[in-house]
Amino acid sequence: MKPILLQGHERSLTQIKFNTDGDLLFSCSKDNIINVWYSHNGERLGTYEGHNGTVWTLDVDSESRFMVSGAADNTLMLWDVQSGKCLYVWEFPTAVKRVAFNQADNQIVCITEQRMGFQCAIRVFDIDRSGDGTNQSKEPRYMFNPIGSKATVCDFTYTPDVIFTGHESGKVALFNVKTGEEIANNERAHGDTVNDLQMSKDYTYCITSSKDKSARIHDTKSLMIIKTFTTETPLNSAALDPKRPYVLLGGGQDAMSVTTTSLRQGKFETRFWHKIFEEEVGRVKGHFGPINTIAVHPAGTGYASGGEDGFVRMHHFDESYFKTDLYGTGNIIIED
Amino acid sequence: EDARESVTVNAELVALRKRLVDEWNAWRTRCIKDMVESRGLKGKAHSNGDANTAKEEIE
Repeated sequence: MKPILLQGHERSLTQIKFNTDGDLLFSCSKDNIINVWYSHNGERLGTYEGHNGTVWTLDVDSESRFMVSGAADNTLMLWDVQSGKCLYVWEFPTAVKRVAFNQADNQIVCITEQRMGFQCAIRVFDIDRSGDGTNQSKEPRYMFNPIGSKATVCDFTYTPDVIFTGHESGKVALFNVKTGEEIANNERAHGDTVNDLQMSKDYTYCITSSKDKSARIHDTKSLMIIKTFTTETPLNSAALDPKRPYVLLGGGQDAMSVTTTSLRQGKFETRFWHKIFEEEVGRVKGHFGPINTIAVHPAGTGYASGGEDGFVRMHHFDESYFKTDLYGTGNIIIED
Repeated sequence: EDARESVTVNAELVALRKRLVDEWNAWRTRCIKDMVESRGLKGKAHSNGDANTAKEEIE
């Protein structure tokens, strides 16, 4: 499994995401730009320039028509994927930390940072898909300030107007975006900041990663914790493999927090854990710094990781990845 | 004796894994059922909603 090194960012990666077909990989970074790459050969297809600060987050709709990005310049931008043109800009008092499309592609949800006397806010915008996409409404459809710990990550669920959130305190919750009401929460889902959230294909469950060194699978309806994966390093990202019963975890202590005990080899590896048995099954080396973001190809044919080192590594799985039967469960059917 | 022990351990492990997979599958079945049901309810709620709006318009 020789990875393709995607070189096009000058600073650390913040989020990477495949489109639905998996032919494209989007990446955003602290260098203020967004790149899009062909996933099969790693060739750069284009760049989206316009943000004047770290691009923290992005998402692409299921048709690969619109892409949305949030940045430290306090803006949320809507882009035309094909032409690279910015179609609309929303401005806020603080940075945009997370954004996500809904399943129908007609709404986006975003989190803005709590700073300078401004509370953390969650807004939902309608996306007008008629015409060229430049006719968007300035005002959000819904807006609320989550009570308690600030939200760090969010996504829609399969229930209309209900979003799943992860928080700085380690809490996860379900909010009704219409009323701002917290429908349910698990205050102790994690012991520290939740820094990534990825939904399963059918949105019935999701995986979160945390600074508390663990990743967890939650039922998105009951918030019940289904599985826990405990590692020995703070995690930054967790992803679900749609084809094999594995989860992929990435993280690592950043240079600033590394003490004299220092650089142990293997800190910056992508870890593969068995989704059901909660056991580590393998590691993939590569990055020279913490892994900030991981995305698995929607068809499960490979994965990409984005690092603090500024590189994106695109891995295509070998045949053996699909054939290996570590636990002799080959004849047991695992539902997904 | 060692051989016998390892066989027992293996058997226990296999049983444990079988149980974990069974639990997972049972939970997945529940999840999907919940989702389908909520979609169904949503459909009903929508059609009711439409009927109400239609009535209002008539009035």
